[in-house]
Amino acid sequence: MRRRRPDPVAIALGAFVLLFAVFILAPIVIVVVASFSAENFIAFPITRTSFRWYWRIVEYRPFLDSLITSVELAFASAAIGAAIAVPAALALGRARGPVVTPVTTFLLAPISIPAVVLGFALLYFLSALAFGVSFRSLLVAHSVVAIPYVFRTVLSVYRALPASLEESAAILGAGRWQVLWFVTLPLVRPGLFAGCLFAVLISLDNLPLSFFFGTAQTNTLPVVVLSYMQNQFDPSIAAISTVQMAIAVAVLLVTERMYGLRRLNAL
Amino acid sequence: MSARRPHRAAPLLWLAPALAFLALFFVAPLGGNLLRSLTEGQAQDDAAFYYAKLLTDEYYLSVMWETIRVSLITTLICLAVGYPVALFLVRHAGRWHGVLLFLLVAPLLTSIIMRTFGWRVLLARRGLLSNTLLDLGLIARPLDLLNDPVSVFVGLVHVLVPFMVLSIAAVLQGIDRRLEESARVLGASRLRAFLSVTLPLSVEGMATGAILVFMLTNGSFVTMLLLGGGKVVTMPLLIYQQFTMTQDLAFASAMGNVLLLAALACLALQVGMLRRRGMA
Amino acid sequence: MRAGSEMTGPVALTLAGISKRFGATLALRPLELEVPAGRILALLGPSGCGKTTTLRVIAGFEVPDSGAVLLGGRDVTELPPNRRGLGMVFQNYSLFPHMSVAENVAFGLRMRRLPRAERDARVQEMLEVVRLPGYGDRYAHQLSGGQQQRVALARALITRPAVLLLDEPLGALDKALREGMQFELRELQRRFGITTILVTHDQEEALTMSDSIAVMSAGEVVQTGTPREVYERPRTRFVAEFLGTANVFAATVTGAAPGGWAVRLDGADAAAALATPEPPQPGRRILFAVRPERLRIQPAGAGIPATVRDAVFRGSYLVHELAVPGLAAPVFVYGQAGAADAPPGAAVGLAWRAEDAVPLADPP
Repeated sequence: MRRRRPDPVAIALGAFVLLFAVFILAPIVIVVVASFSAENFIAFPITRTSFRWYWRIVEYRPFLDSLITSVELAFASAAIGAAIAVPAALALGRARGPVVTPVTTFLLAPISIPAVVLGFALLYFLSALAFGVSFRSLLVAHSVVAIPYVFRTVLSVYRALPASLEESAAILGAGRWQVLWFVTLPLVRPGLFAGCLFAVLISLDNLPLSFFFGTAQTNTLPVVVLSYMQNQFDPSIAAISTVQMAIAVAVLLVTERMYGLRRLNAL
Repeated sequence: MSARRPHRAAPLLWLAPALAFLALFFVAPLGGNLLRSLTEGQAQDDAAFYYAKLLTDEYYLSVMWETIRVSLITTLICLAVGYPVALFLVRHAGRWHGVLLFLLVAPLLTSIIMRTFGWRVLLARRGLLSNTLLDLGLIARPLDLLNDPVSVFVGLVHVLVPFMVLSIAAVLQGIDRRLEESARVLGASRLRAFLSVTLPLSVEGMATGAILVFMLTNGSFVTMLLLGGGKVVTMPLLIYQQFTMTQDLAFASAMGNVLLLAALACLALQVGMLRRRGMA
Repeated sequence: MRAGSEMTGPVALTLAGISKRFGATLALRPLELEVPAGRILALLGPSGCGKTTTLRVIAGFEVPDSGAVLLGGRDVTELPPNRRGLGMVFQNYSLFPHMSVAENVAFGLRMRRLPRAERDARVQEMLEVVRLPGYGDRYAHQLSGGQQQRVALARALITRPAVLLLDEPLGALDKALREGMQFELRELQRRFGITTILVTHDQEEALTMSDSIAVMSAGEVVQTGTPREVYERPRTRFVAEFLGTANVFAATVTGAAPGGWAVRLDGADAAAALATPEPPQPGRRILFAVRPERLRIQPAGAGIPATVRDAVFRGSYLVHELAVPGLAAPVFVYGQAGAADAPPGAAVGLAWRAEDAVPLADPP
């Protein structure tokens, strides 16, 4: 395509987007940089660099423990969410009729409800059921939120698959479970992993939901960091946040690598 | 031409675990919440006590209004900021498309605490922004944005504008550029063509994004907690405070229900929009 | 409704009284169909006529409300699709995108638990048959439309099904490719001698590829017969007009004529003759059809008087549009290009042989 006179609108928009990019990245970059500060206080720009605040993560037990708890919780709840959501998405994917919309709305509802309300309600409900304030309760709460994320992406990918693929398998002799194993599940996998990725990322950062279930033994990272922040405002917050981000990026890269998420428009 | 009902690999029965799980761990707790607000604490004698309090007491009414106000303002800012970005993403990005998309999704990889923390550093009295503006001679005294409600909006928009951009971009993607070109061939100026053709067609994306942002703002409290010096008090923050400080559970439940009602209203709007689009 | 002659011989598949309703719509009225063994039967009809539904009932994807599907005499109506031993090629080929060509073709054998070595051998064999040797490691998206179709055929045929079902197999191909594939498909069918049912809305495809055609409309079979029979002796106006162009005339029977009836055209003052084995019923009003290529333009004075309205050159043939006084609709005549063509405005005579005029079952 011939290049004609530069388009003023495109340039103006481009400049705006550039500012926007700075806006989006600024706080993130600042935190990462501030985490390497050698000072005792938050200062930006930093004068001397050091890793000491990263060591703090290991020294200050609550940080490390809650980080591990958060990661375990994120993956476990995503797994449970997936185990529940995938069959539901497959069942609904080829269904017609008036039942489809209400059920879909219902299964997607947990992400529309403010987490504060849900966390609060679940706390009292689960303690009434004698689940206690523990990892188990956290797991239930995070699974409830994980289900819609996995359901949504799996449903979307499944609906985009031509029904004739499963029909072909059937007529070639595959029974119901064989169709699922050889055709449906492999093809739905990108949706599954995209949904799980979302669920993991959301869970890692879900403060309002986890907030109500905190004890000395089980606490998630965001809750610990929040209370730390309200007492001490030092670069260790920056360090632990950077580590959390690094974990999230790692999860994203691994999932992208394995399952080619870029192909998914369902995001 | 194909038959109406495709051969089904998964029976409807497979919906059961999901429905049961959510009925037990989603609907029941919320129901319990409702019950609690109507039967415990001071509602034991008067079921509507807490709701009456919320709806008549000036303070609580102002908090509810503030919640809506903050959500509305955030939504409008996100619309204003998000639309040009979405337009650029869809029409002009070219090979920067992937980068921009990553930029929009990247904040999801960071925790809300990290982001608000970053804003605190930026907007503090001796923070980066203030110092830079002082150095440039644009202001005379240090600027303390941190204790100003503005910082709350900055924090909220920072978190939520990607959702708006993606909602609008999704719809813009489907609008044929040639429609605008046809308008221009017919004599419209570029701006006129955009305003008469593209903008109206993208209203759906704007509405979807707006409902989403409104809903998410309604439920936020971490931003209000850490920025703005506590000057912006919305419903979720109040619930959080109610829980940590007063332990009046029934009242907190009632507040939660009011918030829930707002969320359900937004959800209903969303479903209504999907149905109009024929996708439900 | 069974009409017309079928091929004699063993019957591979029978549909007896199949009806199917979707909500308020009756997709298939009670349908009767016999599919001769070892032949290609085309289910031909416009969209909405029920041909795809019929195919899906045969495959087992739709359960009929009433009636039975008999495969080689065995009632399979209650059997799920994976137990019927059929082969099917879908309109978009439906190759499994996550499996290689070899894995696709081997799928049916894998479901039958054939040991790996034997599977691989037969896959290689099959790929050679469809002229895609060495393509085993490729994936569907790397193949052209024609190649994908051959893989789909290989996949369906490798299990040696009793009946092969084809759902608009050539719809997605462009014209040039289509003609090539038509012959290839027939070749394959001959080679394996497999009973084949082909669904199409393209009359040319049906005429080219099939041994017998079942014309469908609004959920029932209107006529079955060989391509020639259905084309030259259509039973109804619908069949006549679906399988090509037809000139339809209204007339009244006046008496007998050698081999058939003498009729008088309604509206025009002209006499003609039809060939039919049935005894004439004088006074009865009927419709009959004559194919444009069977009409002859003669010099004025011989045959039914007519005027040429237009002459259109269509490459391999010439189309004359004639106006016959008293008839509302124009009459179309196809003739050889290069033959003496009559210019617009010329007065001519219209004639045909009695055996080319076919009475139709429709009420006039």
